[in-house]
Amino acid sequence: MLGFLNQGELSLSRRRREQLLFLMDNGIYVVTILLFIAFIFLAPYFFTTRNLVNVLISASLAGIVTAGYTVAILAGQIDTSTQGVLAVATVTTALLFEEVGLSLPLTVILALGAGIAAGLFNGVIVVNGRIVAFVATLATSGVLLAISLFLSGGQTITIAREGLQEVVFIRLFGIPSSVWIMFMCYIVGWVMLTQTKLGAHIYATGADYRAALLSGVPVNRVIRVALVISALTAALTAILVTARAKQSAMFGLAIAGSVDFVTALTAVLLGGFSLFGGVGRIERNLVAVLFLTILGNGLQLMDVATGVILIVRGFALVFAVILSVLRARMT
Amino acid sequence: MSDQVILETVDVDKSFGAVHAVRSVSWKVYRGRVNALVGDNGAGKSTLIKLISGALQPNDGGFRIRGQETRIGGPAGAFGHGIAAVYQDLALVEGRDVVMNMFLGSELTRGPGQIFLDHKGMLQQAHEVLDDIHARIPNVREMVRNLSGGQRQAVAVGRALIRGGEIIIMDEPTAALGVEQTQEVLQLIDTLREQGKTIILISHNIQQVFEIADYISVMFHGELIGTRQRDEATEAEVVAMIMGRRSP
Repeated sequence: MLGFLNQGELSLSRRRREQLLFLMDNGIYVVTILLFIAFIFLAPYFFTTRNLVNVLISASLAGIVTAGYTVAILAGQIDTSTQGVLAVATVTTALLFEEVGLSLPLTVILALGAGIAAGLFNGVIVVNGRIVAFVATLATSGVLLAISLFLSGGQTITIAREGLQEVVFIRLFGIPSSVWIMFMCYIVGWVMLTQTKLGAHIYATGADYRAALLSGVPVNRVIRVALVISALTAALTAILVTARAKQSAMFGLAIAGSVDFVTALTAVLLGGFSLFGGVGRIERNLVAVLFLTILGNGLQLMDVATGVILIVRGFALVFAVILSVLRARMT
Repeated sequence: MSDQVILETVDVDKSFGAVHAVRSVSWKVYRGRVNALVGDNGAGKSTLIKLISGALQPNDGGFRIRGQETRIGGPAGAFGHGIAAVYQDLALVEGRDVVMNMFLGSELTRGPGQIFLDHKGMLQQAHEVLDDIHARIPNVREMVRNLSGGQRQAVAVGRALIRGGEIIIMDEPTAALGVEQTQEVLQLIDTLREQGKTIILISHNIQQVFEIADYISVMFHGELIGTRQRDEATEAEVVAMIMGRRSP
């Protein structure tokens, strides 16, 4: 049935190809709106202010991870260390704030620093070790998960001290701070990718490494920066998740969680990005994240079993990968 | 030969393991001329131009550019010396538009810290450069993947010119092109020469070389067999040199 995925470049007229690419790129907007309308009628309590704010909060956490993840994918690097970075950053946040007693700003700086360090480490292995990012970051993720378990003693660290959770619940115009942070990440990401030299280099490195190298683009530096940005946003998400729950999250075990590398990858691919780098627009990922969050939320409100929701999410990834491969065949 | 030498390789040598690709080559490239480099497959032409364009580093020997002993350290170093290569596959990014390809690696910037792209400036300069070389590209915002072979060649040459390329290396520029597009590229080379640019042309097509080149140099088994002025050479003589018979 999927034999067409094994063919070479799809033979389509230029007009037909451009039409299909437009549909693949922008279909996510239409599908998300249709899903939203469908759940208004199908899912009880879906269209209430309280639920919609909850959707936004959930979307914000997955959205921040995805924003950074997008940069890595654009540079042609499939970063699978997200889970590990999340784990290390959540434990770092909880430990430093609760047990060491550091101030909030210092805790945040050090937790973000842990993310940056993980990203730099990924960069060294991928660039200097000349190892494919998918494999290198998978190994890193294992190491980071082990470090987080070691640091926490395998226990959840509960935060009793005041001052952390409150930051997450601050609202501006009725919208929680994490949602504003997500919007900021996307605005910064959009500006960086479309308006700066670094963005142009990230696109070029992902689209054609050799062409970029021969054009004088510092491809190794670009890959390092992309992996650091990916890890940095994962660390930022971990801080917010930890603050919201007032405890360190067990990211290594939370396979059903909505903040993970699989969600980020699904959102990135549904947003029209290529699995092979160099193609896509970051604003579409924001919509893809909303789509996935609305899907999970609506099904939950319809009392669909968690297992079934996970299966639906799994199929969303399969569909997204097929879309990505098709796109590559067409271009 | 009264023309002025702009670039000279001095006993340049390059090996890949047991393969001796370029053997102590001393070659002169003349300013404002089309300098063709011909030879059979595996003769060492591509390796030599990669050494000149900084994509490879020699094991031995060096370069003299505008009379100065020079070390070419990487593609960026070559750009700094006014050398820009247009590779056989053109090294264009298919999924980016004409403007971004022309400025890739040498983007115009503005604003604090020069971090923002100067889209307007790049658009304007891209139009100017393409007009100068009489390139027929209707929309510079078109993705490169949608361009014809001749148009792609023009984009790659435009990029070389934007980098301030004074010495432009063209590796088999017409290899995969049809008749009409080949003529477009030959016209492009002619235009560049009229503008005073120095062209290093790698080609398998002897007739084409005789049509466009001013100097014809031949490599065989990694060695430079000899250089002929086009008007003083015959096709038969050059073919014989390609087969390894040294010029007198």
